[in-house]
Amino acid sequence: MRVPVSWLREFVTLPPDAQTIADRLATLGFPVAEIERRPTITGVITGRIADLQKHPNADRLQVAQVDVGDDAWLTIATAATNVAAGQTIAVATIGAQLPGLTIAPRTMRGVASQGMMISAEELALPGDWFEDGIMQLESSCALGADVVDLFGLDTAVLDVEITTNRPDAMSIIGLARELAASYGSGLRLPEIVNPGRAAEPPGEEPDVLIESHDCYRFVSQRIDGVGVAPAPAWMRVRLALSGQRPINNLVDVSNYVMLETGQPLHFYDARAIRGGRLIVRSAHDGEQIVTLDGVTRTLSSAALVVADDERALCLAGLMGGAVSEVGPATTAIVLEAANFNGARVRRMSNALALRTEASARHEKSLAPALTDLGAARAAALLRDLGATLYEPHAFGGPVTRAAAIALKVADVQRLLGMSLHAQQIERHLAALGCEVERVEPEVLAVTPPAWRRDLTIAADLIEEVARIEGYERIPLVVPSVAPHEISSAAFALESRIARALEGLGYREIITQSLRGAGSVEVRNPLSDEQRFLRDSLVPGIIEYLAENASPARIFETGEVFRDEQSGLVEQSLLTFGFSADPLDEPPWRDSHFLALKGDCEQLLRKITGRDAEMKRTTQSGFHPGKTALVTLDEREVGHLGRIDPRLAKASDLQRPAYLCVVKIASLRAYETPRYRVPSKYPSTYCDVALVVDIDVAARDVERAIVAALGSLCTGATVFDEYRGPQIGQGRKSLAARVTLQRFDATITDEEADAAVSLLLDALRNEFGAEIRT
Amino acid sequence: MTELASRLDDVAQRFAAAVDRANDEQALESVRVAYLGRNGEVTTVRRAIGTLPHTERPEAGKVINDAVAAMERRLQAAYEQLESRRFDAELAASIDVTFPSIRRPVGSIHPVRRIIDDSCAYFMRHGFAVVTGPEAEPDYYNFDALNIPSDHPAREGFDSFWISDTLLLRPHTSPMQIRTMQEHRPPIAIVAPGKCFRRDAVDARHLFQFHQFEGLLVAEGIHFGHLKGMLTGLCRELFGEQQNVRFRPSYFPFTEPSAEVDTTCPKCKGTGSLESSPVGCNMCGGSGWIELGGSGMVHPNVLREVGYDPDRYSGWAFGFGVERLGLARYEVDDIRRFVKSDPDFLAQLS
Repeated sequence: MRVPVSWLREFVTLPPDAQTIADRLATLGFPVAEIERRPTITGVITGRIADLQKHPNADRLQVAQVDVGDDAWLTIATAATNVAAGQTIAVATIGAQLPGLTIAPRTMRGVASQGMMISAEELALPGDWFEDGIMQLESSCALGADVVDLFGLDTAVLDVEITTNRPDAMSIIGLARELAASYGSGLRLPEIVNPGRAAEPPGEEPDVLIESHDCYRFVSQRIDGVGVAPAPAWMRVRLALSGQRPINNLVDVSNYVMLETGQPLHFYDARAIRGGRLIVRSAHDGEQIVTLDGVTRTLSSAALVVADDERALCLAGLMGGAVSEVGPATTAIVLEAANFNGARVRRMSNALALRTEASARHEKSLAPALTDLGAARAAALLRDLGATLYEPHAFGGPVTRAAAIALKVADVQRLLGMSLHAQQIERHLAALGCEVERVEPEVLAVTPPAWRRDLTIAADLIEEVARIEGYERIPLVVPSVAPHEISSAAFALESRIARALEGLGYREIITQSLRGAGSVEVRNPLSDEQRFLRDSLVPGIIEYLAENASPARIFETGEVFRDEQSGLVEQSLLTFGFSADPLDEPPWRDSHFLALKGDCEQLLRKITGRDAEMKRTTQSGFHPGKTALVTLDEREVGHLGRIDPRLAKASDLQRPAYLCVVKIASLRAYETPRYRVPSKYPSTYCDVALVVDIDVAARDVERAIVAALGSLCTGATVFDEYRGPQIGQGRKSLAARVTLQRFDATITDEEADAAVSLLLDALRNEFGAEIRT
Repeated sequence: MTELASRLDDVAQRFAAAVDRANDEQALESVRVAYLGRNGEVTTVRRAIGTLPHTERPEAGKVINDAVAAMERRLQAAYEQLESRRFDAELAASIDVTFPSIRRPVGSIHPVRRIIDDSCAYFMRHGFAVVTGPEAEPDYYNFDALNIPSDHPAREGFDSFWISDTLLLRPHTSPMQIRTMQEHRPPIAIVAPGKCFRRDAVDARHLFQFHQFEGLLVAEGIHFGHLKGMLTGLCRELFGEQQNVRFRPSYFPFTEPSAEVDTTCPKCKGTGSLESSPVGCNMCGGSGWIELGGSGMVHPNVLREVGYDPDRYSGWAFGFGVERLGLARYEVDDIRRFVKSDPDFLAQLS
């Protein structure tokens, strides 16, 4: 909300500097997003055009004699066309400073001009919000008065942010009240007793029928004798500084009262109300209304309208209708100051995609009591404009006092950690308009003011006390947390995975969870590319590898989502891997694959303390011959392999990519390794070369060796593979190193020879192996 | 005897010449084998002792041994000289030590995780546990249980991605407050980092996918001063010892009293101005403060929802944007870089 400081000063005494005021508002919970400073303007005073003649030497100029008070007269030549004798206007005198302009004496076609009559734009107001040409002031203005002082044109304007729970503070008076409470100074309120006393002309009493439960209170007041005209300059300037475009005196009064008191108003042209009464009701399905913005809107019964006997006149709390709009022919109006169910107004506003200053207030549920204040304030302003006031009538429920809230002084200390006396608490709450009664020595009964609907429980009051006392006064204390049972295991596991991969040379990335494909759809996506929840981390990682040209080693952990019969299934995955330049290798060997596999084994060993096993598998998106299933203790934990080259091509990957996917939840807890004392006796080894069918897995050969030799064998590792014409179609040559060692004695050559012949027999039997040593 | 001596002399002379000619270890080794080896010339001479009279033999033996010792010294000296020459050659080499290095690939964790880990470490030191939970959450955990009923205007502040009528991507990590409190009894001391989603238009300061860091402490006697104490400590942990923290009143339906938390802008050190910028600090917009997020005392309705007696237990909660913290901590110009994670960004911040 745009708040001219000069308007605040009308109600509360404030420090001179706007920044100080802004800082104070922030400490009260109303941060100021921006302080707009007005340009320096000096030497502009009010004057009256006493005489206006045609310029003797120029058809398009006129020469005015301007009375600037105290028998001072200025001769001013002007090209403006909206000037006439008798007008009160603003004059920039010689030496006056305007934005980008200093007024100097000058001669216009032989006439010495002693200043300049000026427009709103020259006062740094939005030019198109005011009349073309010279700005018109009221004849009631004292002559020779400084225009900047008169209209508060030098005020800073604060852009104040107001939280949704405080519609009462979406007003000048509301914010002034906060500042008054905080500074401990008084609040000067405007006239709040409705000056309307007279009974209406017979048959013209405005009657209101409230048919909807969503209208809690409706104050109406008949006001006659208002011709539509521009509002007084001071009001137009103030509205413009507040960001509200001046329209005419009636519209401006309603806007002015809304900004000042927070109560939105609506004025109906009295002639347009057919049947003489206003009805607050739900719209009929399909009912139409042309609103003030000229748009024809078709309503559903969810909309709340104010109607006459025949048609809807106004969207309640949102915008008026064209048929009852006040215009040049208006002579009598009916004022509405109403209170509606905020949720209803918000739903209507959302459904119609229409938001107004009025709805922004109504939708936050205003206080019903505000209706009477708004009506009174409007009546007083219209009276000053010469209107005839009749008495206001209130419909709907009475304004009830909120129930008193019991506040224990001890609870203030308990929640804030700051000790305050009952008297201090009483003083702070009273400054905000609460009625406070001491019911027990340490218990207060606090009745919130009518405008504070957000205060309902003791904690609300404690916040008020803290705000006025100042949050900065609350001391810093480090709590001592008692032991508890809540586990950090899931976080710790993921953390350890990330650190282990960091150690293996992988960099962590974060990719988008919302993607163009997946099985779980978002109802309201931002775009089609973000319509689905990812079901895998692989696409995001491939995209990353494609976008970043050089080879990369990366990982990501994150949630993926699948739609299953049982409903949505969410799972935490780890995916890591790399892109790398292809190697010059035969098709049956892939060292990149082996490197990834090695990283996977080391990672899982580090995280679980167990050794992973791999076996061939197929997986969509992966190379059919270069993919392995990863298991730990016979449980599947993931898969790894080369990305299918067709997918890589379609994804614009410049290099082969190798990825490993691990389901984090399938990783068992870390098993602490136990130290095994090595044998004191030397080991020996022998290398065996054998030819087997190509689908014999190296791992199975290793297993067979260990199985054949039992405890004598302390290691069996295949270290070479070869395929080629010498070996034969469908066959491959493997070389394995077998380590032999005893724990109780040095192994003898005879034992070693016997062991080798045992294992060779086993390999021949199990795999039909042909031994080549 | 004289003949033997003269033969020995001859051998020694030829040995000396051969040693002098040898200019590497291999050549020296050949010389050694040829003269001092098992079948070398000295052995031949030594065999001649057998032809001498018994009385001369000890003397002859001594002469030969002395000669062998001298030859070995000579050989040793030659070896040492060779080695010394080789060191001289090796030490004469010199390189440009400023030539760009060869680096093996190093890994790194994402700056978002680094902030989360550092923050968790701080809270764990103070006895807090770290909990995590699902990203797709029913509206009950996101809103209803947090004192935001369906008609509440505050729901509009959470512009969420909906999956069904009741399921949405969490717009904040606060559901973890409810999940934890429903599962455990006080004392509750947790932090809950995690990914969140809001339908915000993406720009230099906004992401629709971001991380939040949630905290909750509920026990008897917990007050706002404890919140100030812990969060001030957190900011000092993340940004340094001089860090100040400011609490401003605000409004959240699930806390009362509520506060926005700001900390000294680490870039301008709270002055709001930078020597390099005439328009003020671009990190904090010239205010000297950066916004961390919301906090406050847990609303009694939230405590009641999970079956805690608000007259007995009290507590506080907070939620910070991790990437926002990252902008300030690493002086990053654009929040989108955290999602883009390009290699240079990761390398610089690792």
